[in-house]
Amino acid sequence: MTPAFEKLQQHLKQLPGLGYRSSERIALHLLVEKPARLASLVSALEAAAAAVRRCDRCGNLAEGPLCGICADERRDRGLVCVVEHVPDLVAIERSGAFRGTYHVLHGKLSPIHGVGPGDLNVAALRGRIEAGEVGELILALPNDVEGEATCHYLTEHLAGAGELKTTRIGFGLPSGGGVLYADSVTLKSALEGRRGYH
Amino acid sequence: MRLRKLTLRHFRNAGFAALEFTGRQHFLVGANGQGKTNLLEAAGLVTALRSFRTTENKLLVGHGQHCAALAYVIEHERQGETHVTLKLRHDGKELWCDQARVTKLAEHLGKFPTVVFSSQDLQLVRGSPAQRRRWLDLTLAAMDAGYLRALQTATRALAERNALLKSGRASAAELGAFEQTLAPAAAELIARRGAGLKTLEKSMQAAYAQIADAAEPASLVYEPNFAEASAEALLARLESGRARDQQFRTTLTGPHRDDFHFTVKHTAAKDFASEGQQRSLVLALRIAQAAWFHEKSGVRPVLLADDVLGELDPARRARFWSALDPEAQIIATGTHLPAAELGAWQVFEVADGVFAEKEAVS
Ligand SMILES: [Zn+2]
Repeated sequence: MTPAFEKLQQHLKQLPGLGYRSSERIALHLLVEKPARLASLVSALEAAAAAVRRCDRCGNLAEGPLCGICADERRDRGLVCVVEHVPDLVAIERSGAFRGTYHVLHGKLSPIHGVGPGDLNVAALRGRIEAGEVGELILALPNDVEGEATCHYLTEHLAGAGELKTTRIGFGLPSGGGVLYADSVTLKSALEGRRGYH
Repeated sequence: MRLRKLTLRHFRNAGFAALEFTGRQHFLVGANGQGKTNLLEAAGLVTALRSFRTTENKLLVGHGQHCAALAYVIEHERQGETHVTLKLRHDGKELWCDQARVTKLAEHLGKFPTVVFSSQDLQLVRGSPAQRRRWLDLTLAAMDAGYLRALQTATRALAERNALLKSGRASAAELGAFEQTLAPAAAELIARRGAGLKTLEKSMQAAYAQIADAAEPASLVYEPNFAEASAEALLARLESGRARDQQFRTTLTGPHRDDFHFTVKHTAAKDFASEGQQRSLVLALRIAQAAWFHEKSGVRPVLLADDVLGELDPARRARFWSALDPEAQIIATGTHLPAAELGAWQVFEVADGVFAEKEAVS
């Protein structure tokens, strides 16, 4: 292998889910087997990096100030489902059971990993609540210690003041897992059976 | 249950060993350092995938190897003949039960109970609170999935709260968020430890009376750091203790600082009991543990006695023997064969990690 090849492989290996073998395969594929794919991949990466940003309102992926869900007038803006990551939002969307909007925190409280409230997308959520647009907050955060603690934090320091209705889903989900690991039917029944929190 | 076959590969000093157990009593005889205890350790691992000698996986894997494999054939009261395979690597474990991969410890715990009697058990009387807590947690969690869940939640929430305290910039809001997760789990631990120790104490007292053969009452006393098994009360205490905890940069209240102690004739055994009394106490505690496992799971634990017979005088040894469950399978080790009054044994001679079966003595 050449120095340039090895450098590329090193970069690929740092991507989530890729080990030594798979990064080697991808590098060989792009450079040797199907070099024609390389140019289109590079331009797709550059285009996506230039276009994709966080939605100003909810933190979801967007290509303008608002994401597709926030921009959709038919979605119930008073109903806000709080999730840890974008893939959780995607899983709930796929279940087709939810017609409200979302708020993506991009993490959960974890002092062990140095994550505090300032590292989460909390300020924008506070803004939405203070603007009076939120009627019900659905906490769809993981069932683990950090997910629970984040729920406590949000209900007491964001939702506590107003007469905001707060519900929690996740009780029926596999212990320790998040919404990502639940199938559509499970998610649907979890959303329908959500219970009051505090 | 009865362990019928145990195969070791690259486990400690055993390159390869396959032992078939016939009958109910098995004795491993050999000089010290030959690998007798390794076999008991391997047998005991089936219960909770934890060694009674070390918390470090890599010590269990043979020198220069990256994986140790243990295979068990078990005659089980509820499941019939069961095959369990355990692979140990430096950084993890893999478990199969009848060819199906087991990924959740909670699904496995409690199914294959064993109880180890070891000379190190004296540390349960003399040693640190952390050693006693570890024993108590393993004993209670092995038979109670609710206890295991509460223990995992409380341990994680405590670690998060302590990380926050160590950072030196803990806000009341963040502390509160983790306290509300910690308190209910911690309160559950306090309640279950109190109840569990009460049950264990009853059978320990009966066993101690038999072993010590004297009219000296023994007891097991729970010393909770925070005595009220109430989530609200503990939450209030954590909240009022924040300033002090921030100063010490760690959580000073809660079941992670629990302890228990033994008494003989109403005085603390750690300070006032003789060595003989202390030995009898821990043997009685192990017998109580075996009774607890049997009662909770309906499965009779295998008793693993590591060189304990040699440490008892003949009278105490005979009384200890009569206090054991007469139906339980026993695998024992020693430097000399046991006295004839302890019954017939299947004997294995152990030298340098090699186990050779000898014709049974009677
Ligand atoms: Zn949006």
